[in-house]
Order: sequence, then C-alpha cells, then structure tokens
Amino acid sequence: MSTPTVRVLYIDDEENNLQAFRASFRRQYEIYTAISAAEGLLIMQNVDVHVVIADQKMPNTTGVEFFKSIVETHPDPIRILLTGYTDIEALADAINHGDIYRYITKPWNDLELHNSIKNAYDAYKAKIDLRNKMTELEKTNDELNRFIYSISHELRAPLVSVIGIINLVKMEDLYHSSGEYWSLIETCSNKLDYYIQKTLQYYKNTKDVPDHSEIEFEKLIGELIELHAYSDKDTKFNVNINQNVKFVGDAFRIEVILSNLISNAIKYQKSNEPNKTVNIEIDVTEHQASININDNGMGILKEHLEKIFTQFFKSKMHHGSGLGLFIVKEALNKINGTINVSSNIEDGTTFKITIPNAK
Amino acid sequence: MPNKTGKVLLIDDNDIDLKINYKIIKLSGFFEEIVLCQSGEEGIDYINKHLNEPELWPDFILLDIQMPEMDGFEFLEIYKNFSREFLDHCKLAILSSTLDFGDIKKAEANPLVLKLLKKPLYPNELQTLLHKHSTLLGI
Repeated sequence: MSTPTVRVLYIDDEENNLQAFRASFRRQYEIYTAISAAEGLLIMQNVDVHVVIADQKMPNTTGVEFFKSIVETHPDPIRILLTGYTDIEALADAINHGDIYRYITKPWNDLELHNSIKNAYDAYKAKIDLRNKMTELEKTNDELNRFIYSISHELRAPLVSVIGIINLVKMEDLYHSSGEYWSLIETCSNKLDYYIQKTLQYYKNTKDVPDHSEIEFEKLIGELIELHAYSDKDTKFNVNINQNVKFVGDAFRIEVILSNLISNAIKYQKSNEPNKTVNIEIDVTEHQASININDNGMGILKEHLEKIFTQFFKSKMHHGSGLGLFIVKEALNKINGTINVSSNIEDGTTFKITIPNAK
Repeated sequence: MPNKTGKVLLIDDNDIDLKINYKIIKLSGFFEEIVLCQSGEEGIDYINKHLNEPELWPDFILLDIQMPEMDGFEFLEIYKNFSREFLDHCKLAILSSTLDFGDIKKAEANPLVLKLLKKPLYPNELQTLLHKHSTLLGI
C-alpha cells in the first residue's frame, strides 16, 4: 500500500522554527510553512492541507485566534497548537473555541510531534471517510425510495391492468372458454401482485421511521375485514373491541400487522369447516393494546410454531409466500410490540399481540 | 342499483386501463354515458366547456393519481375551485393502482374524494360506493 501524501501547514513567526520543522519532517510529509497567520490563511485558501500546526505566541494573531478564525471557513483540517509556555486560559480557549485536536509544548520532541501529525491525519481521514460514506448512504437511500415508489406504481400498474382484463373476461362469460388458461393466468397474476405487496411492506417497514398517529381500532378492524372478507364471504367475524382511551401508534405498521394476521386467519381455514370463524378481541389501556386473533382454521403444527416467523418459511402443505408472519414480526420489533402464538390442529390458532401505547 | 341515467368521467393517462374500465362500467350498466379523458387537463377542459349547461354535467368522476403533467392531486387542486353547485352535483372517487401509503392517506384526507378505489376496478365495489352515495348523486 502506498503511503498517502499528508499535507502539513506549520505557522510560526520564528523563521528558525520553520526551518527546523522542514528539516525534520520534509521526508515524511508535504510541508507548507507560513511566517504569520495571514500568510497561513493564504496557503489554506489555495491548498487542501490535512493538518495545521500553529504557534500560540505570534504578533498580531495568536495561534488560538487563528484557529478560531478558520472554524467556519476550514472546518476539516485537524489543528495542533504549539505553545512554549503553559497558559491554561489560552489552552481552554483553544479547546473550547478553536476545535484543537492536540497541543504540544515547545521545544517539540520530533517523535512526539511526528506521532501527533500521524494521528491527526488519521483523524482527518476518518472524518472525510465518514462524510463520504454518509453521502453514499444518502444516495443509496434516495435510490431505494425511488425504487420502492416505482414498484408501487409503474411495476404494479400493468399487472393490475391484466387482472382488470381477467375480470372483464369473467363478466363477458369467457372465463371457461379456453380450458383452464384464464384461471391459470389469474392465479399467476394474483401471486405476483401478492409478492409485490409483501415486498413493499417489508421494505417500508425496515426503512421508515415510526410515526405517531391516533388509532381507532374499531374503524381499522372494520376496514381490514371489509378488505379481506372480499375474497371469502363464508368466514364469520366476532369482533370485540374495548377502547375507551386514546391510542397513539404507528399507523402503517399496525395496519400491516393486523392485515397480515387477518388475511392468514381467512386464508388458512379448513375447507370442510361449516362454521368458519375468526374472533378478534382488542383491549386498549393507557399503556398498551392487547390484541387476540383466533381462528378455527387448520392450525399450525407444533414443530412449525418456532419457525413461522422466519423469512421464507413455508409449510409443505399450504402454499404461502413465507413472508406474511416474517413481516408481522419485523414490524412488531420496530414498534416494541410482542407476539405469541398457540395452536393445535383441533382448535385452530391464536395470536396474542401487545403494542405499546405511545400516547 | 342506481338507474342508468348518469354520466361518468374517467380520467386516466393509461389507455388500456381506460378501455378496461370503460368496458367494466359499460357491462355493469351503472352509467348511461361514459366520457374518457386521457389527462387531468382534458378532464378540466371537459368540465369547463359545459359549465353553463348543468344538464351536461358529469355525475361522477373516477380519477387516476399517477399521471404525467397534471397528476390526480393537482387535478383536485383545480377541481376544488369549481362552483359549489357543480361540486354538489358531481361526486368523485380515486381509482388508482398505488400502494404508496402517502398517496393513500392523502387521497383519503381530501374532502372531495368519496373513496380511494384500488385498481382493478370491481363492479361490486363501485356499485357499493354508488349505492351508499346514491342520494348525493341524485341518480
């Protein structure tokens, strides 16, 4: 690895010191020297120096005054103060207002100063690297935002057109006109749409900062049932909501959590069950919302209970995406909620959730 | 079901969706007349043209969000300035494929939007909405 060029500016009103500094360090660093603060500033305006060393005791402008004057205009170079006497006040001032990295007493020891310059350069590099990484990260974030937005519009729009055409085919009684081709197209389109929706939910969940909005569970649950029961009219919902206090939480994530659980409760019913039922109980207090969602569906095998919250876990018998409960868990983690599940093949499944009230 | 007496304005830049939704509404028979507009500007122009002929006013508008130049929200900004009389007569719903949480909340928050319908358009959903607001619609 090649050693980077370190540019050091040394400001001192004594020509002897400048020469001695040059002699000691010119092999290791690119050295710039200035006989006054004014000259030093001129160099800084023209050269990107990494480390600035200034003598404290100079006529006109002292080292500390100089550092103070460049805090705004040249924040990046790392500053080292050289001082021949111990002036506590000047030092305190330098540290508090001049953004000093280190101070060294005169006469300097070559090794000590050398190490200080090296460390100062490392600090400079770390500062710049961090800034570059931040810029890079902001760019990536922006791109991800645009990507998510374009998934939710451009990518989904044509798919939705296809589903619209399939609906027209049904309305015009052509659905069975080509064997099972139309129903196959419909299945594939719905699956693709489902994946797009889940992918979006996942990314939005990992990215967004939690929001705080007021939530009325009665209204939310009503909307979600209306939305999901659309695909299945057989399931009976018993909803019991006890909310007498205001609840504040992350509207998007809570919607995602409840939506996925309600959709699962409908989706994994026993096909031969005459009384398909989903019970939803919500109790809201000052501290939290406790939500129970119970169904008399097919239940979850004991050996699967541990795994259902992991990404892409799918049981062999039932074709899910392996994303729904994973997203539920991730969303709950973000808002400090908890989830417990109990299930057996006879009585179906109960999910117990708590979400803290951020009121 | 509302009788087919009304006029609906479909505003969408995507001509395939215009065609699909035209057919769906045609087959469902919710409206007697369906006017297709390929952009928000076209929709505004259509309304402006018939501003002095209340008998030609649309009864209902289905508005897309994502459109080039004037998007659905910009359309609504202009639309809200039409006369009280017109706005009382003509009701509006958004029909969009958007999954963007911000778009959805913004649409729901707009007092002129009865509902945000998600594409694809299902006749039942539109029927339920029209039914619910049939007194407002006067059809």
